Amino acid sequence: MIQHTSHNQDLIKLLEEQLGKDVDARIIREVAEHMEECPDCRVFVDSVKQTIKLYRVTEKETSIPDNVSERLFKVLNLNR
Amino acid sequence: MAEENKIEKQLIEKAKNGDKTAISELVHRYSSRIYSLALRIMRNEEDAEDVLQETFIIMIRKIHTFSGRSSFYTWLYRVAANVALGKLRQKKHIDSKVSIYESEFETLRGSGLHNWPDQLDSRINDKQFRECLKQAMVDLPENHRAVFVLRDLENLSTRETADILNISEANVKVRLMRARLFLRDQLMHHLKCMEGIR
Repeated sequence: MIQHTSHNQDLIKLLEEQLGKDVDARIIREVAEHMEECPDCRVFVDSVKQTIKLYRVTEKETSIPDNVSERLFKVLNLNR
Repeated sequence: MAEENKIEKQLIEKAKNGDKTAISELVHRYSSRIYSLALRIMRNEEDAEDVLQETFIIMIRKIHTFSGRSSFYTWLYRVAANVALGKLRQKKHIDSKVSIYESEFETLRGSGLHNWPDQLDSRINDKQFRECLKQAMVDLPENHRAVFVLRDLENLSTRETADILNISEANVKVRLMRARLFLRDQLMHHLKCMEGIR
């Protein structure tokens, strides 16, 4: 019986995203199980997940600066 | 949400008929998101502003062609992404149909994995580390960067990303994985240089 830890669930989500939800769920679970037990695979997945997280933290959404917005409305000939 | 959709639909209909107040409202609603997207793809403020202006010029000219099959923001994102990628191609003469770095991507998997540090979050305020993150994004091929930005930073689905970039979902998945690996490898390389990790 597979224990769905939160780590395991994260892995399944990542695999589903990558492989597509149309792939047999059993295959996804088996790959996830292997990856949980394989240190190399685990570090691999963790490193990719951490890379994404780092970019999400450092590349936060930028609000449009006021002067940029002002020029935009001017170019479009619109009132702000 | 339903009420909000109804208001937006009315705004779009008015904008299609040239109502300047409605057009202004749409520009207000989406200019920050489009600017942010443009900045993430273009990597500099001047080019991002060009993309922003061009996107809304096209929106005003072409809004009558918006059929409502996709959401309005997906339609607008598609315009912005195409403008941004077009500008990058003009700059670098990139052939969008050729997947460059193919051979380099092949060698990325698994390199130095056992040395991946546990706690990278603590380096987030390190100036050099942040520069490395930025540079890796600049070095990432544009077509892959666009996919990474839309999927991992803008949180769009594979379907929406494929729709916006006019590529297949399978292609989105391939480019996304390659982009993630490329960025991961660049960080690894940087960390090796910084700390002599072998």
